[in-house]
Amino acid sequence: MSSEEEMGGGAPENADDEPRRESAGSDLVVPVAGVAFTLYYFTTIINSPWTAQVSAFFIGAVLILLSTFLFIRVALRLRAGTAHLDFSRVIEPRGFMTKRLILLALTITYVYVIHWTGFTLTTFIFLSLAMLLLNDGRNKGLIFILSAIMSLSGWALFVYAFAVRFPAGPFEQLMKSIL
Amino acid sequence: MEFDPAIFIELFAHTLQYWWVILPAIFLGLVVGAIPGFSAANTIIILLPLAITLPVEIGFVFMIALYASSRMGAGAPAILVNIPGTAGAAATPLDGYPMTRQGRGPQALAISFTCSTIGGLLTTIIALVALPWLSEVAFYLHSVEMIVVMLFGISLIATIAARDTLKGLIAGFFGLMIGSIGSAFVYETPRGTFGFLELYDGVPLIPALVGLFAISEAFAVIERDSILTERGRVAMKTTSWAATMEGVRLALSRWWHIIWTSLIGLVIGVVPGAGAAIAAFVAYQQSRTFSKTPELYGTGHLDGLVAPESANNGVTSGTLVPLLVIGIPGGATAAIMLVVLQYHGVTMGTDLFMQNPELAYLPFAAMAVTYFLMLFTIIPLARYMSRITVVRTVYMSPLVISFTLVGAFVPREYLFDMYLALVFGVIGYIARKTGYHVAAILIGVILGPLMEGFFIRAMKMSQGDVMVLFSSKLGNILWLCLVANLALPYIVDYRRKRKARAA
Repeated sequence: MSSEEEMGGGAPENADDEPRRESAGSDLVVPVAGVAFTLYYFTTIINSPWTAQVSAFFIGAVLILLSTFLFIRVALRLRAGTAHLDFSRVIEPRGFMTKRLILLALTITYVYVIHWTGFTLTTFIFLSLAMLLLNDGRNKGLIFILSAIMSLSGWALFVYAFAVRFPAGPFEQLMKSIL
Repeated sequence: MEFDPAIFIELFAHTLQYWWVILPAIFLGLVVGAIPGFSAANTIIILLPLAITLPVEIGFVFMIALYASSRMGAGAPAILVNIPGTAGAAATPLDGYPMTRQGRGPQALAISFTCSTIGGLLTTIIALVALPWLSEVAFYLHSVEMIVVMLFGISLIATIAARDTLKGLIAGFFGLMIGSIGSAFVYETPRGTFGFLELYDGVPLIPALVGLFAISEAFAVIERDSILTERGRVAMKTTSWAATMEGVRLALSRWWHIIWTSLIGLVIGVVPGAGAAIAAFVAYQQSRTFSKTPELYGTGHLDGLVAPESANNGVTSGTLVPLLVIGIPGGATAAIMLVVLQYHGVTMGTDLFMQNPELAYLPFAAMAVTYFLMLFTIIPLARYMSRITVVRTVYMSPLVISFTLVGAFVPREYLFDMYLALVFGVIGYIARKTGYHVAAILIGVILGPLMEGFFIRAMKMSQGDVMVLFSSKLGNILWLCLVANLALPYIVDYRRKRKARAA
């Protein structure tokens, strides 16, 4: 896989011998999101002075124009039968989709609770659960030790040594009262 | 403002005495540069009480050493785990990361460190000698030219995603739209903020960087057990000092490439606001244009790593030129330096060179000494730093997610920014999976507010006449370059196909 694919610069390679039809629906996600956002943006500036509008209208118009080119290209490919309208590239490989969604849910929970439980404790719990999830529950001992070391190192380096104001919770309060 | 070599040699020797300040700053800079959210600018802000209380000379040397080394540090995670430490290293993974996946991580790091050091050292000396002329570059670029320069930056990234320029342009303009979120310039009207107060100041860059690069990569990479390919795993098992030395040798063999790409960085660095990200992409694109093997770029091509790493370190000395000569900082870190220097009562501009030449030339001497010391202290680390790539993704991904999310929190201390990083993570993940360039989105987010400022200025001066965009000679030349840049890949592709058909 080339770096362009790694960076999102090219279409994933098809390993099959048979030529596979392109997943055109996947190509549409970003431009559709871009156009939708642009239209929403326009609604927020419609009654604003010209200085608030001019740049956004210019950039937004170019984005809509470019997206239209892409929509036409996709339509032509669909008509020619070289592509089909699905979103397989976004969700493949399907075997990892459940894990990915659970990891996303864990990440959202991490951000939500860190305000109360603080950096160290939340990071320890998040790291343990996420690593257990991705490792199919194997190597529990190693995972707990690694999570503890990493979260404590994070606290020692950033909170204690650099005095960075990470979200504070019971652990940070306790250490503050001790040290 | 004439350059006197004797002063510089004396200053270099004098600055070497501050090794005890420079060495800790180098290691601190490497750490903060490597972690998204902990840039040199943030670190200097955190350490502002220290920078202010130190004598002005020592404080200045400390800030310069931190700045230069953080630029180098940002390349390491970009090469090893595809996560640039700062936006300036956004072009580094294009060829650096494929090298790592092939098990050539130690070589890639050694190349990055060598090019950064030589590029930084060389441009520092050139900046010093050419200071009077370089300072004039900024005067020639007005709002119209700056708009074209920025559109040129977007088009460069779009063409770097050469498999599909249209997708690259869509990604870039989507980024520009996102970058336009926030209060309007003149009347502070909130625009595109979805009602979030936290977005009134615009989209913060660190959550965008963290989300687009780190979070999206962490979610994408879990499909594989390791970021290394099979060949890469075998190569990493047998890695040795020889690999590091080979990297140094390979970099030195490309000395001419280092020189001209770092000069690109220097010239772009002089332009206030243009920054390391644009310089790195311009250098990458130019390197590929003049390469005999352009098709190998993006697959672990050495020149594709040499160009952005030399250029983004060339920017470091370039940003100091407008700061010292006209008092306009070339970037965020230079702006913070300006604040610290003003606190000490230092006035920038010609007066500084006339009344206090030792202090005026000191940053260049400090930068030269920093790069000189880094040559001996950092390159040996390449072998050990590259070991991180053998860590399995089941352990790596959660670590990247948690530590970079907290990094997104640090600059403004808003929990909102962590959510924002997650949103950018989802955008980045979809963009990666569907062939859109995350770097193009990021550059758009960076340039969006800057471009709007120049756009409004140009429109105000012309009383709303859009033709002002084509009113300057230099601007028109830049427009032609932009069109040529967009058309060139198609022309080259067409000619190649025609040749292939003829053969």
